[in-house]
Amino acid sequence: MTNATGDGARGGGPLVVVCLRVTDLRPEVDPLTGVVTRSAHGAGLSAADEAALERALAIARAWSGRVLAVAAGSPIVEGPLRAAAALGAAVLRVAWPPHDEADGHGAAPGAASAVNAASAVDPEPFGPRAAYLADLAGDTRALAEVLVDAIRTVGEPTLVLCGDLSPDRGTGALPAQLAHALGAAQALGLVSLTPTDDGWLLAERRLDGGRRERLRVPTPAVCSAEAAGLRLRRAALPALLAAGDAPVPAARPTRPAVGAVEVVDVRAYRPRARVVPPPAGATPRDRLLALTGALVAHDPPTIIGPTDAGQAADALVAYLVRNGYLTA
Amino acid sequence: MADEQAPYAGPGTSPGTAVGDRPADVDVIVVGAGPAGAAAALAAARAGASVVLLERGPFPGSKNVYGGVIYGRILDAVLPNWWEEVPVERWVVRRSTMVLTETQALTVDFRTQTWAGPPYNGMTAYRADFDSWLAGKATAAGARLVTSTVATGLLRDAAGRVVGVRTDRTDGELRARVVIAADGVNSFLAKESGLLPKADPKHHTLGVKEVLSLPREVIDERFGLRGQEGLDIEMLGNTRGIPGGGFLYTNSDTVSIGAVLALPGLAAAKVRPEEIIADLKAHPAIAPYLRGATVKEYAAHLIPEGGYDHMPALATDGLLIAGDAAGMTLAAGIWLEGVNFAIGSGLVAGRVAAEAAAAGDASKKRLARYRDELEKQFVLADHKRLRGAPEIILSERIQRRYPGLVADLVESLFTVTNPEPKPGALALLRRAAKRNGVSLRELARDGLRIGKVFR
Amino acid sequence: MGAATAPAATEAAEGGGGRLGDIAFEDRMATVDFRVGERAHIVVDSDVCRSCTTRACVTACPANLFAPTADGGILFNYEQCFECGTCYMVCNGEGALTWTYPDGGQGVVFRQG
Ligand SMILES: Cc1cc2nc3c(=O)[nH]c(=O)nc-3n(C[C@H](O)[C@H](O)[C@H](O)COP(=O)(O)OP(=O)(O)OC[C@H]3O[C@@H](n4cnc5c(N)ncnc54)[C@H](O)[C@@H]3O)c2cc1C
Ligand code: SF4
Ligand code: SF4
Repeated sequence: MTNATGDGARGGGPLVVVCLRVTDLRPEVDPLTGVVTRSAHGAGLSAADEAALERALAIARAWSGRVLAVAAGSPIVEGPLRAAAALGAAVLRVAWPPHDEADGHGAAPGAASAVNAASAVDPEPFGPRAAYLADLAGDTRALAEVLVDAIRTVGEPTLVLCGDLSPDRGTGALPAQLAHALGAAQALGLVSLTPTDDGWLLAERRLDGGRRERLRVPTPAVCSAEAAGLRLRRAALPALLAAGDAPVPAARPTRPAVGAVEVVDVRAYRPRARVVPPPAGATPRDRLLALTGALVAHDPPTIIGPTDAGQAADALVAYLVRNGYLTA
Repeated sequence: MADEQAPYAGPGTSPGTAVGDRPADVDVIVVGAGPAGAAAALAAARAGASVVLLERGPFPGSKNVYGGVIYGRILDAVLPNWWEEVPVERWVVRRSTMVLTETQALTVDFRTQTWAGPPYNGMTAYRADFDSWLAGKATAAGARLVTSTVATGLLRDAAGRVVGVRTDRTDGELRARVVIAADGVNSFLAKESGLLPKADPKHHTLGVKEVLSLPREVIDERFGLRGQEGLDIEMLGNTRGIPGGGFLYTNSDTVSIGAVLALPGLAAAKVRPEEIIADLKAHPAIAPYLRGATVKEYAAHLIPEGGYDHMPALATDGLLIAGDAAGMTLAAGIWLEGVNFAIGSGLVAGRVAAEAAAAGDASKKRLARYRDELEKQFVLADHKRLRGAPEIILSERIQRRYPGLVADLVESLFTVTNPEPKPGALALLRRAAKRNGVSLRELARDGLRIGKVFR
Repeated sequence: MGAATAPAATEAAEGGGGRLGDIAFEDRMATVDFRVGERAHIVVDSDVCRSCTTRACVTACPANLFAPTADGGILFNYEQCFECGTCYMVCNGEGALTWTYPDGGQGVVFRQG
């Protein structure tokens, strides 16, 4: 499966891959049931993913390399992928989660592409709900392995870039799994990434207290980064017209989505109801006072320290014991 | 660097960029993938032209707002049995017209089941869905849709003829034999071409709308609907004296409520537009319908309401204008139709443009066929027939006094005043007219005028 | 993350005419998807506004983006704009507004327009 399109894939040079998560950036969440409804009209890339694509284009240019943009998902991901193709990237869709796509779900609207002509409004543009659950259940490792398989059909990557978090799943674990599957170095959660003359990468990461950490990253590497103010360039009009409606090649995963957990249903988190007895008191005022505890004496907050870590821990444990959270 | 041209689309743009003779990239460029533009691209592509359809939003419909009812019969020209696949919310079977004062409401309610089956009459739909669907028909016919791209100005040749557009992308000039400006009510391209005046608040109204979510069954129950049946309410009065009106439309699991407000009146009244919606929502005749509803989306958009008498010239050398860009919304009281007029004009514009491109003659003279054909169709025929409507509908008496007069009259007719005997109807009319500051002579005169306009 | 559905819209007026339940303006605007561009597509020249007698923009703008300042000028934020055109149509001061569409793909995105 080496039929990825776009100018960037042709020719030699190091391969810079960017993994893009396409999702509804403003899904509708039912406040009562927690049911998430995703609409094709919101399909797009998060700011971090757009910045990842921009970084990939810039680094590939510095290395005289090529860019491959990969997105896993239903055909709806083709919209953002075509936009990436107009910027000179080769593109590849990974049909994910694995299910039968013959049901016509998820045609791709968006940049220079046809809108699903078959049905009016696709109620499940991101694929069937069951597949979405399977995606949630499948651990990220399965997706990472499938992505690496797909990437290797094009070439061995020198650098794989991701946004720091995907906006809907949001664990940030995929880049680490990718690095594992590729046997590459990893630097995650960066704010900047620039190539150096000697073929390494200079990365910067935020630390607590406003400090920064500078890393020198060897290749091959997997890096994930925040948007950090970086915006994606816009395609030139001729390139956009040329990219047009070209079909986006799709790779079908050969491995199953191994999931350690079986998800049957998702709903909003609702803590169990707790029975609160009606407060005692003859008058409404008394009952209100009892309910709110307004006139009851409370322990004032205690300030411990300055002290060293050991003493602070002892003080915390003593507090928990005193209040019955721990047995001594 | 000599010519200073605005790089962005707005009312202050230059008179166009002069360019040398270079062959056209495509036959027809259509600016704006609203109903007018999508229909124009469709018709031009079907007539064999190469077409690029430019849209500034990320997808067709993303920038567009309307009240909520599309009269679909014009879609017969797009495809047979369109109703089987159009992204419809509900089919309108019930139409109510309400005259409101702060505390009163008089409703004329009409229902027919003939509108509940093919070919239907009106349908509610969201523009994001509908416009995307229609643009999909254009791309299926061969037009190329380019989204997220603003046409920022016109390209002209040495003779001043329009030969293409500038866009806000790198290398963004695109040449065509004919350009169709279907860029909606603000149409900066029509303004740049000189066909439209730069700003014209008198003939524009502001539409503000809230989409409120309510469970499907609740909507069915409260509005007396079943299945895909829908209701459409137009309201007159209760807009704090600002000329305009209100509307309420049912979608599957939302209700759209909003107001249409004349710009000069709105500006003078110093009232915020969303307060008018709040007034309507709180009206005793409306509030029970909406109990428990939550706001899902708030939106605003302008409407051109000049009607036939203020419609601009529709063509110049190399350029046609269609839909709201040409002021084609029919806003005549209980009618608020724009989408069907946009599609109707777009279909003709697309065909005329394709033929002109094929004939190698895009002169103003040749493109005049566009207007000739529209005059023969409903698009301009309806507008011509109702040319007096905007003025009368937005007139002071209709807007401020008649709602009160009518409501008072009906209230007095229906109020049982025992032990006083019932007064005669004429006495009641005189009393209601007097209370609302209308003389019977004015009433008779307006009656005649309205009869003439809506004959 | 999700598109906010703003609370309690129309609890008002069940027995009278109160407006208790209507939503706060920020909640109202939070229901709309704005893909904010880097460039301010509308710019207000506050100096012109200082001599404006109508200040029509302040009440007419459906997004409530024109805020009068203490020194008689106008403070304008472009981010939550509907791109409707009302302001330039009603504006009374020649040259007060520089009005353009945002760059392609940016600005307001209506889902239920
Ligand atoms: C509040 C309200 C209620 C209404 N109610 C109804 C109703 O119930 N029924 C009805 O039939 N009609 C109604 N209308 C009228 C109807 O919405 C319009 O008549 C119709 O949308 C006009 O279609 P159009 O294609 O001409 O313009 P639009 O729908 O405005 O489309 C213009 C398109 O051009 C794009 N565009 C603009 N400038 C550029 C540029 N420079 N470059 C690229 N793209 C550009 C825009 O993004 C847009 O997609 C209502 C209107 C309003 C505001
Ligand atoms: S109407 Fe125009 S000049 Fe007056 S305050 Fe508003 S923006 Fe300024
Ligand atoms: S275009 Fe409309 S929403 Fe934007 S600032 Fe002007 S009046 Fe307000």
